[in-house]
Amino acid sequence: MASSLHSNNTQICPNPTALNGGSAADGKSQISKKPRLYADPPPLFTPSDIISEFSHHDPDVARINNGSFGCCPSSVLSAQNQLQLQWLRQPDNFYFNQLQPKIIQSRTIIKDIINADHVDEVSIVDNATTAAAIVLQQIAWGFAEGKFCRGDAAVMLHYAYGSVKKSVEAYVTRAGGCVIEVPLPFPVSSVDEIVKEFRQALRRGKQNGRKVRLAVIDHVTSMPTVVIPVKELVTICREEGVDQVFVDAAHGIGCVDVDMKQIGADFYTSNLHKWFFCPPSVAFLYCKKSTNNSDLHHPVVSHEYGNGLAIESAWIGTRDYSSYLVVPKVLEFINRFEGGIEGIKKRNHEYVVEMGQMLVKAWGTRLGCPPEMCSSMVMVGLPACLGISSDHDALELRTCLRDKFGVEVPIYYRPPKDGEEGGVVTGYARISYQVYNKVEDYYKFRDAINQLVDNAFTCASLPIS
Amino acid sequence: MEHEDPRNGESPHRSSKKPKFSSNYIPESEIRDEFSHHQPRVARINNGSFGSCPGSVLAAQRRWQLQFLRQPDAFYFNTLRTGITASRMIIKDLINADHVDEVSLVDNATTAASIVLRQIGHSFAEGKFKESDTVLMLHCAFQAVKKSIQAYVTRAGGSVVEVRLPFPVNSEEEIISEFKKSITEGKSNGRKIRLAIIDHITSMPSVVIPVKELVRVCREEGIDQVFVDAAHAIGSLKVDVKEIGADFYVSNLHKWFFCPPSVAFLHCKKANASSDVHHPVVSHEYGNGLPIESSWIGTRDYSSQLVIPAVLEFVNRFEGGIEGIMERNHEQVVKMGKMLAESWGTNLGSPPEMCTAMIMVGLPSRLCLNSEEDASRLRSYLRDCHEVEVPIFYQVPKDGEDGVRDNDGCITGYVRISHQVYNTLDDYEKLRDAINQIVKDGKTCKMLCIE
Repeated sequence: MASSLHSNNTQICPNPTALNGGSAADGKSQISKKPRLYADPPPLFTPSDIISEFSHHDPDVARINNGSFGCCPSSVLSAQNQLQLQWLRQPDNFYFNQLQPKIIQSRTIIKDIINADHVDEVSIVDNATTAAAIVLQQIAWGFAEGKFCRGDAAVMLHYAYGSVKKSVEAYVTRAGGCVIEVPLPFPVSSVDEIVKEFRQALRRGKQNGRKVRLAVIDHVTSMPTVVIPVKELVTICREEGVDQVFVDAAHGIGCVDVDMKQIGADFYTSNLHKWFFCPPSVAFLYCKKSTNNSDLHHPVVSHEYGNGLAIESAWIGTRDYSSYLVVPKVLEFINRFEGGIEGIKKRNHEYVVEMGQMLVKAWGTRLGCPPEMCSSMVMVGLPACLGISSDHDALELRTCLRDKFGVEVPIYYRPPKDGEEGGVVTGYARISYQVYNKVEDYYKFRDAINQLVDNAFTCASLPIS
Repeated sequence: MEHEDPRNGESPHRSSKKPKFSSNYIPESEIRDEFSHHQPRVARINNGSFGSCPGSVLAAQRRWQLQFLRQPDAFYFNTLRTGITASRMIIKDLINADHVDEVSLVDNATTAASIVLRQIGHSFAEGKFKESDTVLMLHCAFQAVKKSIQAYVTRAGGSVVEVRLPFPVNSEEEIISEFKKSITEGKSNGRKIRLAIIDHITSMPSVVIPVKELVRVCREEGIDQVFVDAAHAIGSLKVDVKEIGADFYVSNLHKWFFCPPSVAFLHCKKANASSDVHHPVVSHEYGNGLPIESSWIGTRDYSSQLVIPAVLEFVNRFEGGIEGIMERNHEQVVKMGKMLAESWGTNLGSPPEMCTAMIMVGLPSRLCLNSEEDASRLRSYLRDCHEVEVPIFYQVPKDGEDGVRDNDGCITGYVRISHQVYNTLDDYEKLRDAINQIVKDGKTCKMLCIE
């Protein structure tokens, strides 16, 4: 496997000149022999540069799950290490003189990328899970302090992330709110299907004179993954008088277009360690200024309490804040790809669709959504004969792929609906594509499944643990 | 200088000129190596604020980080949980807890305070407690804890009673007496005290509090729950949670226990382990108990929680292990404190037996330290112009009281000096000379020039 990394053409490309980051002229590593006469900016990455940047990844694994834990290039890891050492060297000095300015620098870069109006609107937190707790905590206070009536509703997608669902339970249900889930079809064939279900759910939320206090909308759902038409849903929320809209875009930056003014939500969060090359872990939480959100607080309270969420989040006790501070370095990294983050996004999407189509053709299955409704990830149907018939089966199959075939990919169990005929696809793999991936990763996966099918493997034969 | 190093005392690992009969213990030169990443020439006598981490533990941390980055899914499914459990087991033994289920790892004491106070806040908000019910805390409680009380208790309708401890303090009895007075106040008019928050070692000014005695008093007085904020405790003094008997006990491991930033343990007594204690960052583990909730709060770098075995290896290279380190730190900081007080003609903030690895030393009154700004100014000046890092405490004079005096006036400022294994006599002499220079030059705090 490793040897194929060093041959040419290891990067898949719709056309030979669109190598990740480089133009055809840069395609070979000979460019390093030329004198570097550039003044500004630094040259685009060559394929071997990229291999080198991710050389710390396990070379024996077809790592087609960037969606879960993301990735971080070595140059950014080095920068992070420098920051960690700066702190360890003289922490008091760092605390008093460096930490806050560096956090503001990161926040400012993010503000520009996401088209927010003001840096005050941008807070940096550990991850989307933390951001959800922040937004939901203020909803809980609304109930506790009588601003909301018992039974007022919060609406979320059925495919909302597991942690967010639990957070809604912990903060909203506990405080007396009513939770409405929006059922979404999967596989999905059009945006209209989603819009229709959403409208219906809002109507349910408003029954009996209730108010919908919060709508939690994923920008890109996790499992199964689909891109949600957030802009349209936010508009509907405004029309229907929903108090606040929170977009959970854990997979946002680097995956889909993230434009705060265009989307128009009150709160928007995205992880930066998933698709934006930051080390674990860091995310931003955007809070629109016009929203009445002086009541937003970080749940870990420090002496900064009351100074605004952005300042509260910048000091939550002694921590290693280095992941918050490398954002400038990450921008440098990204801008060494053709088209910067836009270019990366576009190519990731093209390649993941291409690989997804290659797999469904090889297996005789289908994609979970049309190409335009996916981002850098897509759901690929697994052969029905594998007999995936529970979440447990899905997890076991995933473990088997990791341990026996060296393939890392999450599997989703899709229960058959009433009336569906036999032979329906009940398992989908969520494949990701990021700049370090190569076509061999997906061939390895294709061949692994084909081998299981050839061996008449079924999940029923897996040991019950 | 090595010969004069007070740390050496009778310890076997003195200068290389002595025969190495106890060569199993970590030699001086290796200790220096372990902390070679510290800024040289800075007299780093503030271990109390941000702690320290030796090179070998940082290397272990790096290995964990790389393991995650190499194959994060495999790490998450196969490695993370076992690693955290192993760390929790070590802590359980160190603190004499009954069961590992009582031990959760969290980021820091600040997080633990939010966890404990949220559940109190819920009880107020949900009507389990009455509005007049109180929470008791020390007046000098850490600012983050005070704000947490504001955010979760006061906001939910609860009241707060502050215990004013004397400073400088002369005996444990003074503390116990003030504490009892405040309990009486908190229970006046038929009110109930729902929670008492007691520091084990206060931060500023730093003093060791007789927690075991105070917890006993709390039980006698029918206080619902006791939370001991022991941010500085582990690695500083002996921690025996059974002996202390609190409902909640938290200590940072990155301050005095050589962990990298940041990690703390929160001990919750099993008998009292209400299922209502939750981590505020809710993940899919919600409802599985605080230790499990805390072990996954979304994608994070959990490496600081995983290096505890490596830390144990490190401390066991010292004579007497962590106990030996604690003993020597205490001896040295008292010795250095006395040296400074004598040189400046001032005082110590507490008797030696009421301090651990930190001690408060009075500053000459001629500095005219009369405000928080003065303290801040002096601290920055010492850092920028003398390469000395030490926190300064401003003692607000009590009405009608003169307080402690030196030959020239009232002592209103104190330095909090720390001693950790990397400190040398040099560090404290640097501070001594810097202060003497300022006084000699006739400068007051307000006259100090800083960038």
